Amino acid sequence: MNDKRDNSSFKSYLDEPVLENITLDDSQKTKFLDGETVVTHAQKVLMYTPLNEDSQILGVLTITTFKLSFASADENDPANCYQQNFLLGVNDVCLSLIDCIYLNGDKKKKLVPGQNISGKVKELLIVCKNMKYFEFSFKLSDKDSGKNIANALLHHVYPKRHQLLFAYDCKEPHEETAAFKEARLFQLKNDWEKELQRTNCPNWRLSMVNHNFHTSPLLIESLIVPQSVTDQIIEKSVEKFRNRFCPIWVWGIYRGAALVRMADLLPGINDRTEENKLLEHIRKSHPEKRPPHIIDLSSPSPKEIQSSYLKLRDLCTPDTPSKFKHQDFKFYASLDSTKWLSHVATCLSKAVEAATHIESENCTVVLQEGNGQDLNCVVSSLTQIILDPFFRTKYGFQSLIQKEWIVLGHPFANRLGHILSKDIEQSPIFLLFLDCVWQLLQQNPKAFQISETYLTTLWDSAHISLFDTFLFNCQHQRLMATMAPKNCPQLILRSVWDWREQFCERDIALFCNPLYDDSFKKTLTISPKLYNLDVWRQCYFRWISNLEIRRGGTPQVDLFTRYLVSEILHIQYNSEFNGKLTGRINKNKEEYLDLIQKVNSFFPFSHNNALVNDPVNNVLLTGDTLDSQSILNLNND
Amino acid sequence: MGIIHVLGSLELLDMDPNHFSKDVYRSETKSLNLNKGADSTSWGKTSPSKSYCSSSSTSTENVVSTLERKKAQTSKDTATLNRSDDCPLLPGEIRQGCARDVTYLCPYQGPARGVLTVTNYKLYFRPSDSSNIIDVPLGVISRIEKVGGASSRGENAYGIEIFCKDMRNLRFAHKQENHSRRNVFEKLQMYAFPLSHKLRFFAFDYSEAFPDNGWAVYEPIAELKRMGVNNDMWKITKINERYEICDSYPAVWAVPAQVTDDDIRAVSNFRSRARLPVLSWIHTESQATITRCSQPLVGVSGKRCREDEHYIQLIMDANAQSHKMIIMDARPTANAIANKAKGGGYESEDAYQNAELVFLDIHNIHVMRESLRKLKEICYPNIDETKYLSGIESTYWLKHIKSILAGAVRIVDKVENHKTSVLVHCSDGWDRTAQLTALSMLMLDPYYRTVKGFEVLIEKEWASFGHKFQQRVGLGDDYHSDADRSPIFLQFIDCVWQITRQFPNAFEFNEHFLITILDHLYSCRFGTYLFNSERERVAEKLKENTVSLWSYTNSNLELYRNPLYWANTKQEKVLVPIASIRHIRLWKAYYCRWNPSMRTQDPVYQRIRELLKLKEQLHNNSQECRKEQQQRMSRSTVSPT
Repeated sequence: MNDKRDNSSFKSYLDEPVLENITLDDSQKTKFLDGETVVTHAQKVLMYTPLNEDSQILGVLTITTFKLSFASADENDPANCYQQNFLLGVNDVCLSLIDCIYLNGDKKKKLVPGQNISGKVKELLIVCKNMKYFEFSFKLSDKDSGKNIANALLHHVYPKRHQLLFAYDCKEPHEETAAFKEARLFQLKNDWEKELQRTNCPNWRLSMVNHNFHTSPLLIESLIVPQSVTDQIIEKSVEKFRNRFCPIWVWGIYRGAALVRMADLLPGINDRTEENKLLEHIRKSHPEKRPPHIIDLSSPSPKEIQSSYLKLRDLCTPDTPSKFKHQDFKFYASLDSTKWLSHVATCLSKAVEAATHIESENCTVVLQEGNGQDLNCVVSSLTQIILDPFFRTKYGFQSLIQKEWIVLGHPFANRLGHILSKDIEQSPIFLLFLDCVWQLLQQNPKAFQISETYLTTLWDSAHISLFDTFLFNCQHQRLMATMAPKNCPQLILRSVWDWREQFCERDIALFCNPLYDDSFKKTLTISPKLYNLDVWRQCYFRWISNLEIRRGGTPQVDLFTRYLVSEILHIQYNSEFNGKLTGRINKNKEEYLDLIQKVNSFFPFSHNNALVNDPVNNVLLTGDTLDSQSILNLNND
Repeated sequence: MGIIHVLGSLELLDMDPNHFSKDVYRSETKSLNLNKGADSTSWGKTSPSKSYCSSSSTSTENVVSTLERKKAQTSKDTATLNRSDDCPLLPGEIRQGCARDVTYLCPYQGPARGVLTVTNYKLYFRPSDSSNIIDVPLGVISRIEKVGGASSRGENAYGIEIFCKDMRNLRFAHKQENHSRRNVFEKLQMYAFPLSHKLRFFAFDYSEAFPDNGWAVYEPIAELKRMGVNNDMWKITKINERYEICDSYPAVWAVPAQVTDDDIRAVSNFRSRARLPVLSWIHTESQATITRCSQPLVGVSGKRCREDEHYIQLIMDANAQSHKMIIMDARPTANAIANKAKGGGYESEDAYQNAELVFLDIHNIHVMRESLRKLKEICYPNIDETKYLSGIESTYWLKHIKSILAGAVRIVDKVENHKTSVLVHCSDGWDRTAQLTALSMLMLDPYYRTVKGFEVLIEKEWASFGHKFQQRVGLGDDYHSDADRSPIFLQFIDCVWQITRQFPNAFEFNEHFLITILDHLYSCRFGTYLFNSERERVAEKLKENTVSLWSYTNSNLELYRNPLYWANTKQEKVLVPIASIRHIRLWKAYYCRWNPSMRTQDPVYQRIRELLKLKEQLHNNSQECRKEQQQRMSRSTVSPT
């Protein structure tokens, strides 16, 4: 242990008797968006990456209405910074991303939203919804700095009303042009019609019974329903369903099988006549009049998923070396007890069940669940990804999220915890879905145009309160926000699909999967068995710097493939154009080859500091815990 | 189809590159931000969907002694097999018995009836529909039991159950009225356990010729020279030429240059089984070394040996960069102390000044054997999905892998980052010590990550330094509950696999190479793993009388190459894997490979192979195009218009 100190890059700030305020040059200072205001800031704050005591950096901590920002004079070569968000600095996080704030001291204490701290605050531990976690120490800062920061966070991280989210204040100019190029948005009737045409699924029609949200604000305006159902029948029967989510067509095949989503009947309704009537219409829509197969998706509930997620997050955010070792000691058992992978397995096997019924038996599948807008979104999307190659392209995948999640009303504001309220149930159902997609990607790498990095970035972006995509509970709420009366904050819609708002071309290129083979149009073959699933290490472990493999891990494979693909293009272009266009390809080739030699396993999310860390991590070397395994020692030797 | 299946399972699927549509490139074009002009390109006109049928359907195929099967298939196709019950034979292999109307009770596909053949090398079962051939070298067998007797009722109740060392069991049902069981059982016993029946290993009968001579792969003096020995500090000694100093050590080793022969004798007397410290590896720049030995014979009274202390001092002095020396004792502290009662023990820091003693907490062979037994219980034949993760935890297998890797990483850290020499030992220095030295050398020296280098590593750190392969694996004998058996080498290969997962382009060889090495650990077809020490191997004239496993692998190198390897050429030399259980996984492609519902194939590698093939094809095409153009041009200049 001791000899490590000698050659580490540890810089002690403690030896300096009087510490001047830090002066930062313009490129290092926190940058602000139009409409963003500073709440408070603190000088001479130390930021730590937990588990790595030597990683401290000294800087200025600023809390604004949009983000927590930490600016320091430490050198950051932007050329080495990948996946750097335009809207945020290297060490910044959006306030909506923060989940828990802990007072660190002799005892870790979770701070309660709305609480007002009056005592001294020496250290804060911040845990984010995407499992990022970091610590601040105020031991060098001025008096009350810690307290002010803590109170500012407690006040601004947990807004009580939707209108307090930064999206309403943001005055940044925005051109409303690009989003529709990136995805079919499904907000207009037209897109649904097209989808019905594209799939060629017979005997369904578009109903405008919910025009102007006349029938239900929670439902979409244009519903696709069985040909034989009249608008009157729908109007009458929606009353019986939770969230008025009556059976709606979302996808189908030309042979007649359709994928239909619906909610449960309202609690207290025991007479299932209305439901049966609609199911009978669905049966009639099938060319062979086959009765639909109903899949019940009541379990796992959002509550179970949230509790599972919290346990998983605990495993991914060890804040002390002893906690890390303790978790390592029984990692697989703890992973088992989170039940996260078994929830993933459940969703995948339900999707396989649905896909098999549709594909092999040409049988319509009806997905049914409480409010119709949680697990229905997951399983419905997965089924379509398994069956329809369109949804495995980037454009198609984004269209699918628009269709199944945004427009069909997954309550993102509630589930992602954008606002704090007693009756809101936070639950990362969208993450569960992304994890399922990641498993599909692992098992069918050449079927997807999108990469693992894309999926991870999407989860991060869901928490940036600037974009409207994941901000609302339903389409109607979004519409109302844009039509706010005068004197109220006016919201400009910004779609998350406009990736250029956040990332440069170099980073966006990493969203594409180099293994993709677009001639692969078949149904995905997948095994939803738990033992064929894996932990999504990039997404969950990337903040644990100890776990980063230097010059190793999957990025090596990814970059090699990118190199290989650019070589193939190079040869191809050479013969087509006699080498006239190869300059760009060569540049890419070189960049990939260069990267292979320097990237670590969490690339492109590697923290800059990871590049200069000691090659051997002490936490992983000292004192093996097996010794305390008394059972092992008793029986042997 | 059969051949494609076998090859496909090896990720070697021979793709017709024309099966790529031009659209692949259009999409890639986008990702690379190329000029939109790409859309106008046209080439490769084919039906894309067909080619994928074969590749995806192979995903559940098992890898069963692949080459043999490939050969079997080939010979079948060329119609050399005219009788349905014939089994392909290796040179030197002889049919010993055969039974018809035998039923193989497959735990996955259900019973299948067919013909069972036993040779002096393998058990071969061909079902009547020839679908699911079972081809098992008899060396893999650990135990054979008769199931059911004369009074057995019910179908398939009467037969033979075979317990294997490679994580599976096989069960065959015989018809009582055929009286075929007895002969099969006797032949199996005889050839699965030749040493218990006063027979010799099959390797002595096997006579296949290969273009490459694997026995020439490892030459101890050449390997020492590669590391720069002899030099000022280290010398090569042949004092053990007749294996008189230490019968489990090789004939040639390197010791500190100043050590005298008398010192060597004195030190060897103070070390368990005379296994004194000798050189495993030397850092060519810093001169920091890895040396290996067995425990000192300290005993309860705390005996000391001046020569041993001086010897350790010389090892330390041979490295000018550090005034310290680390002794890594692989054992848990408690075990090291307990060994004092048996006359062993560990170096006291009083006696060995400037030496720091570290215990690596790796458990002994009995713990490891028990752990693997539990693992087999969980993995075979089927995994209970609901208990998978907690089951893995309860075997401790991954934890043991972790502690071995962590130990090797500590050695690497000392040698590389602190330029300090490390002496490694456990009790006898032939199990945990071999794991640790071999793994740390693999991490430190890129040479050992090539195919030939890895073969050298096994020959040197394992075979020549007396890892008791025969005893640990139980080669040729029927003492299935022998307490000396233990999966130490398997554990080493598992650790190597874990490192290859963390550094996918650092190794010249692929996973299939590792599995082949393990399959032939049991097969007794090659001389490589036979016997317990170099002395025994020399006495049995193995080099003259048997074929080396490396002759076989080096003659089929293409099968074992990692396509990602070249991209590593400029990478750092030293690999430091993360020894956290969060990165350590169960090697399903090995432990669970018999279960067709396990996804053991790596589709990423399959796809990369497709792309590499495509690249090659394109390259050839463009070369041809250019030639054609040149010819056309030269023709047009020649033509009189």
